[in-house]
Amino acid sequence: MNLRESAGMALAALRANKLRSFLTLLGTIIGVMSVIAVLSFVEGLNRFVSEKLLASGSNVFYVDKYGFITSQEEFEAVRDRPDVTIDDADAIRDGTPHAQIVIAQGNTQVVARFRNKEQKGVQLRGRSAGFELVDDYQIGAGRTYTDLDDQRRRMVCVIGPELADDLFGNLDPVGRFIRLGSETYEVIGVTVAKGKLLGQSQDRFAAIPMRTFVKTHLERGSVDISVKSIDQASMPLAQQEVRNVLRARRHLRPGQQDNFGITTSENVMQLYNTLTGGIYVVTIGVAAISLLVGGIVIMNIMLVSVTERTREIGIRKAMGATRKAILSQFLVESTTLSVMGGLIGILGGIALALLAAAVSPLPAAVSIPSIIAGILMSGVIGIFFGSYPAWRASKLDPIEALRYE
Amino acid sequence: MLIEIRSLHRIYEVGEEKVHALNGVDLEIEQNEYVAIMGPSGSGKSTLMNIVGCLDTPSEGQYLLKGTDVGKLSDDELARIRNKEIGFVFQTFNLLARADALHNVELPLVYAGVRHEERRQRAKDALEAVGLSDRMKHKPNELSGGQRQRVAIARALVNRPSIILADEPTGNLDSATGEDIMASFERIWKQGNTVILVTHEPDIAAKARRVVRMRDGKIESDVRTPSQGEMARP
Repeated sequence: MNLRESAGMALAALRANKLRSFLTLLGTIIGVMSVIAVLSFVEGLNRFVSEKLLASGSNVFYVDKYGFITSQEEFEAVRDRPDVTIDDADAIRDGTPHAQIVIAQGNTQVVARFRNKEQKGVQLRGRSAGFELVDDYQIGAGRTYTDLDDQRRRMVCVIGPELADDLFGNLDPVGRFIRLGSETYEVIGVTVAKGKLLGQSQDRFAAIPMRTFVKTHLERGSVDISVKSIDQASMPLAQQEVRNVLRARRHLRPGQQDNFGITTSENVMQLYNTLTGGIYVVTIGVAAISLLVGGIVIMNIMLVSVTERTREIGIRKAMGATRKAILSQFLVESTTLSVMGGLIGILGGIALALLAAAVSPLPAAVSIPSIIAGILMSGVIGIFFGSYPAWRASKLDPIEALRYE
Repeated sequence: MLIEIRSLHRIYEVGEEKVHALNGVDLEIEQNEYVAIMGPSGSGKSTLMNIVGCLDTPSEGQYLLKGTDVGKLSDDELARIRNKEIGFVFQTFNLLARADALHNVELPLVYAGVRHEERRQRAKDALEAVGLSDRMKHKPNELSGGQRQRVAIARALVNRPSIILADEPTGNLDSATGEDIMASFERIWKQGNTVILVTHEPDIAAKARRVVRMRDGKIESDVRTPSQGEMARP
């Protein structure tokens, strides 16, 4: 029996009973759909994260009081460490030849005002001079602040273009004065728009010199330090140099643990991979269950089909169909059936992923391997759960089958 | 010799009981004979037909088809013999309901492994030969009983088998249409085919040139009846 003919007959049977076919295939459809949709999300996130996290900041690492903590226990262990200070940042800048730039930083939210206009929840960033190199901004108008501005604790700020629009409209912000919280600052520069990251604007902020920030907002508490090494290869060296500087400043003896944290993008990537690994496991579980159910439904419908078509099987056998021919006919039918379900599931999954990407900040990327996996999975389901009904059909006695009413 | 049957027994086990459907049958049929097998129901004629058609195998005894001992063959070898040597015509037509006439006639060629184009051509020719060239794309439920049986005859002939085996071929037809179908068998026989007819109707059996009567699983009589033309001869 040739393949094309069997597949054609299976499709004809599918068309003849649309509702029954759809219900039969529901399990397979849902199984494949969930796999495609979830894998699309994970794939989209992966691309997104590795682009944002690794590409731009691949030679940036962070020094802070706590390090990279993921649990309450870890926090308990590190909460009594000494604060990281702005002087630490200066010492690192002096003692780390492999660092291209060292930025001390702190963040808070303030209300920004210009004349009668007011913007709530504006991100106020305290940054050492040169922040735009680490945070990856470009200055569009005016200038950025210098180390001298920082040393003198000048009341100047560089603002993001969205904040500039919201406060100044058509006016040129450079040279004008705004209030950020309870202090007044001169706007000296505006950055170039960067767009949204996971649904959050990156252009609605005001950056001020770090020492100004410490004076106005961080009388007590720890600062964070971003270090950008000269290149990717010198990352480990730069980290070691930072470690040496801080350990010396804190008089740590050999054998004592660091009482500060160094976090790299790799640490974040690791956590991220653990998270998405969990998503994969859950998805595979959900898919396995719905595919199992889908497979059993297909087996059931194929058993019904074999019974309904007992006479047809008898006729085919009388005309000379071998057992193998009958077996392969029914296997092709069940496989065609489930692959149809798989294809519908793939389309549904893609639609779901695109829909979610359109209405939420989550990115989605449909991956070719997940589509291939979807087709393969449904094919395997068809063959596996179709084999028992097909075997039953092939075993029918032709005389009995021809007599069947 | 086309068919050689020697002391053939077919025993069915129905629960504890053993039913002797065939109880020692000897029969020889030559190439290009036109044989009717007659008998009341339960006489064993259907069982004999199933064995001759290689749908069933003997419990005891021998059935040689063109010298091959059919009793010793596997299921798949039997399927191949059915495909190559036997053309079935059934009382209830037994066409595939979802396939059109052309496709139904193609079926034996599909299992014979004939290529698509040749298959199509031979099926068309066979349908033309039974006068149905204008009904090729019709499904069985769009055809009359007589047309359906002609499709079945085309299907039986298409792979050029050694034996045409017809089981009550007019049983579901009115008498005029039945006459028509019987005329087809006459023609097929005259073209050199071997025709074996199973029937319980004497009128139908009378068309054949040899009548084998069965009773209680045995052959009761085996009479060669010269055709009307031959009878007229001195």
